[in-house]
Amino acid sequence: MSQATETSAAMVDAAQVAAQSRGYWKTVWLRLRGDKVTIACFVVLALIVLSAVLADWLAPADPYKTSMLKRLKPIGTEGFPLGTDELGRDMLSRLLHGGRLSLFMGIVPVVYALVIGGALGLVAGFLGGRVNMLIMRTIDVLYAFPSVLLAVAISGSLGAGVTNAIVSLTVVFVPPIARVTESVTTQVRSLDFVDAARASGAGTFTIIRVHVLSNVLGPVFIYATSLISVSIILAAGLSFLGLGTEPPHPEWGLMLNTLRQSIYVSPWVAALPGVMIFFTSLSFNLMSDGLRSAMDVRL
Amino acid sequence: MLPIARRRARARGLTGALLSAALAITAPGAVHAQGTLRLGMTAADIPVSFGQPDNGFEGFRYMGLMVYDALVNWDLTAVDRPSGLVPGLAESWAPNPDDATKWTFKLRQGVKFHDGSEFNADAVLFNFDKLFKQDAPQYSARQASLVNFRIPAVKSWRKVDDHTVEFTLHAADSFFPYQICYIVMASPAAWEQTGKDWNEFAKTPSGTGPWRLTKLVPRERAEFEPFKEHWDKTRVPKLDKVITFPIPDPNARTNALLSGQVDWIEAPAPDAIPRIKQQGFDIVSNQYPHVWPYHLSFIEGSIWNDERVRKAANLAIDRDGIVQLLGGYAVPAKGHVSPGDAWWGNPSFDIKYDPEAAKKLMAEAGYGPSKPAKTKILISASGSGQMLPLAMNEYIQQNLKEVGIEVEFEVMEWQSLLDRWRAGSKSPDSAGGHAINVSYTTQDPYSSFTRFLRSDLHAPNGVNWGYYSNPEMDEMLKNASLAKTDAERDEWLGKVHTKEVNEALFIWVVHDVAPRAMSKKVKGFAQARNWFQSLTPVYMEQ
Amino acid sequence: MTAYILRRLLYVLPIALGVTVLVFSLVHLAPGDPLNAVVAPDAPKEVVEQLKRDYGFDKPLPVQYFIWLGRTLTGDLGTSVATGRSVTEALRAAVPNTLVLAAGASLLGFTLGCLFGGIAGYYQGTWIDKLSTAIAITGVSIPHYWLGIVLVIVFAVELNTLPAMGMGPGGSSAWAWDIEHMKHLVLPVVTLSVIPMGIVTRTMRAAMAEILSQEFVQTLRAKGLRSYQVLAHVVKNAAPTVLAVLGLQLGYLMGGSILVETVFSWPGTGFLLNDAIFRRDIPLLQGTILVLAMFFVVLNLMVDILQSAIDPRMART
Repeated sequence: MSQATETSAAMVDAAQVAAQSRGYWKTVWLRLRGDKVTIACFVVLALIVLSAVLADWLAPADPYKTSMLKRLKPIGTEGFPLGTDELGRDMLSRLLHGGRLSLFMGIVPVVYALVIGGALGLVAGFLGGRVNMLIMRTIDVLYAFPSVLLAVAISGSLGAGVTNAIVSLTVVFVPPIARVTESVTTQVRSLDFVDAARASGAGTFTIIRVHVLSNVLGPVFIYATSLISVSIILAAGLSFLGLGTEPPHPEWGLMLNTLRQSIYVSPWVAALPGVMIFFTSLSFNLMSDGLRSAMDVRL
Repeated sequence: MLPIARRRARARGLTGALLSAALAITAPGAVHAQGTLRLGMTAADIPVSFGQPDNGFEGFRYMGLMVYDALVNWDLTAVDRPSGLVPGLAESWAPNPDDATKWTFKLRQGVKFHDGSEFNADAVLFNFDKLFKQDAPQYSARQASLVNFRIPAVKSWRKVDDHTVEFTLHAADSFFPYQICYIVMASPAAWEQTGKDWNEFAKTPSGTGPWRLTKLVPRERAEFEPFKEHWDKTRVPKLDKVITFPIPDPNARTNALLSGQVDWIEAPAPDAIPRIKQQGFDIVSNQYPHVWPYHLSFIEGSIWNDERVRKAANLAIDRDGIVQLLGGYAVPAKGHVSPGDAWWGNPSFDIKYDPEAAKKLMAEAGYGPSKPAKTKILISASGSGQMLPLAMNEYIQQNLKEVGIEVEFEVMEWQSLLDRWRAGSKSPDSAGGHAINVSYTTQDPYSSFTRFLRSDLHAPNGVNWGYYSNPEMDEMLKNASLAKTDAERDEWLGKVHTKEVNEALFIWVVHDVAPRAMSKKVKGFAQARNWFQSLTPVYMEQ
Repeated sequence: MTAYILRRLLYVLPIALGVTVLVFSLVHLAPGDPLNAVVAPDAPKEVVEQLKRDYGFDKPLPVQYFIWLGRTLTGDLGTSVATGRSVTEALRAAVPNTLVLAAGASLLGFTLGCLFGGIAGYYQGTWIDKLSTAIAITGVSIPHYWLGIVLVIVFAVELNTLPAMGMGPGGSSAWAWDIEHMKHLVLPVVTLSVIPMGIVTRTMRAAMAEILSQEFVQTLRAKGLRSYQVLAHVVKNAAPTVLAVLGLQLGYLMGGSILVETVFSWPGTGFLLNDAIFRRDIPLLQGTILVLAMFFVVLNLMVDILQSAIDPRMART
């Protein structure tokens, strides 16, 4: 979880910078194709995302339909392959539907943070000097909080809700992304071809757009994908504390929270939503690792 | 003193005598103090001990009314009917014959605080100044905030002699004894001794109640020992000690009981009850003055303005299903109070589960399967007295959907819900919600009826959340509060309730029965039909 | 060295100040009255106003900030709005409990992590390496609050061998070194330790691999040193990095234990934080967040200084 803020000094492999050609992408593709684990993760993730998107068609029952007679049925009950929850709702259907919010709350903050943190890091890294000081020292303050504490503190102050949870997680992920971007940008800026471009009279904006951006984007993007796994765990964690999604909407973290009350009646059903969080987070982690080695990015 | 109160007091003395006689025969050991009772509460922290407690009624139950007495006490010995009021630190009370806005309270003599100082009229003045006189040295805004809203009638007070106090009310009000019973009496002498600081006083509080607080570890435990010199000998505790633990998590409470760390827990999780019973523990429950309703809004645009829709909603709810969801520990509601209660009246609208009748009413009101009534309800995810709010609300959502009422919930934290509740349904904060799910006490007439039904008590004057307004209702409420006798008062309240039910002004769902789980060693406890309970007759079997 | 320490201290001061500003403004972000949570539902307006004056909530926010900062510097974090009890005292009771949990988890995670990571790095490419890497990635991918629930299901519900909740018998809120408290500690510590375990395994493996490939190790080997002697050198060289990770992890776990404390009803800072959030008890909320964040800042500082003491090259970077 804390790996969110665990950034070692980012380095762009010189080989990668030099190899921004079709040949490079071909190599990446070839490497990926040979990496069975990463391919498997792609498949698993695709399945999870698809089942969330197509939940309306895939789910055998209405995820909101309650039944007092069929409460807390164990796994393997006829008609309810994964049992039912404390209100007699079909667990399988709720897990399928729950993926929507869980994935949404996990991925959106990283995307926002990528845009905001990326922009901040780019500006700080490219302009350097005072601007860099100002941006990076402000970010250092956010760094003074362990990620879970920061997420809980912001969500807790703003109050429960999906929007507030997304805001708080975005704030958590902006600093690490900004730091990585800044450090990559600083290194790219000092490379020869940027100097060459500047010497040939290209404007600052053009330099950022053409040279810096293209060389920075790859590593930062890879780094961001490694955050998705953390983000999913944290987002579900906020819901688990009662600070994220609001009932009756299915969401894995919240389901874990409400089912916890029935742990003595139906223990293994109570554990199911966590399995989903675990597999999703694991797949994102492994996929990110695979992409990283395929693209030969050292972070 | 009103006649009924006197009669009850006499009856109580008699049962008390009989009871002790019976105990003397059957359990000779029981007269001696015995045992330590360890009790798991639902609060997250020990209720504050400086006088007026926090943590709502649980704070009164396991701190306020243990350490302190009020001028008027609840009769917590009866189990077969809702508790009435009995003399506490006042021996009698009555409005002055010539001016009903003035009430005279005759104080009990010879009562001592835990610190040994004497209880008298000055102590009463001291405690009222503490809550209402902002320039008094003992004024405590925190305590005022906790209780002043419960006693809106009082205007001023004065000492007549050392053992007589006269209260002046804003207007004649027969409900006054039901309000003054929340004001507990703390020792002025002890407050002086602890440096005139209520937070210091809280560490070694001094009241006149049957229990002395002997140890307080915030968030962990509070220990109480009997105050042997209590003025009411029938209320001298039998136990050697009571220890209360704050255990907010229901699973943790259940575990604490099953593993023998506590002997008694409040509100076990319904799903855990079978397991608790199976392991040889007792479940004690009794109906008490509580109702779990939807408070409806009568502002423009609310579907609840149509009486047929209100009735349909009341008929659509499968209350037996809810009771089942609660493990059998609830009673289906037939109105705001229950049949047989003094304020029941004789309503003709029978609240039951009848979806067909509900559908018919909905059709009459112009709705149908293709044109459902849509509305939003504000609910909380947890909260005092809310039982299992999410599960119950989600269940009812299904029930209502089946008769053509589509409900959308706005779920919020308990405190936020109370904020909206205070703000009234017209407030933009209510976000278009036309009903709010707050569970209510029906312990006293004002809390049961007046505050929701009197037309001038909407925000910011009060919590008539739905802006209900009806001149006839106002008149009946006025008559009830001007009543000269308890019987007359109850009769008017019965009429109020009859009208309330016949017009289905709320959607009533269930009454709680406050299940408590305890070890078989716990003896002598009789659960009163009240929010408050007395631990004084309890003892531990060796 | 001294100069370095001074420089680091100077660098920490503005950050600490920034943290106080952030913590203070954060809790005032929330909509609604700071007293709504504690004032009884239909308390009259004038009482609420008086209470606001009593707690100082009537003053402008910047003024409130400086009053709060001044008091905080003297060690007084104010009184809880809800209970009127001292926030400092509440934290003094809760911090040691969380510390026991976080330190136990760091220690366990660190030991296992070093073991797995060390072995993986040493036997790079073999199945042992793959297994260790799999354990590491599981450690960082597992939602630990869920792991806690699963452990409770297995050890408390099904096997009934370990307590499911609390810190000790009788709702104990003060840690004691006895068998009962130790029993209560097992599940939370195991739950919390998977995070540092995963991260330390990764770090240790990388450090090991890198050092093993360096020339001096090969030289040592060529000199005929036994493998355990080589190992000693390697450990010495890997120590600063691993130490840094350990230090940071302790800080993360202190701040991040709220989820585990919620699962196990552990009476620590996370529990306090949870309570403060749901009661909207602003002084308690501010105090708890501040103390946890400051703990992290100070730990960071100590790790930096310690690292440069072990390896003076670090100080120059």
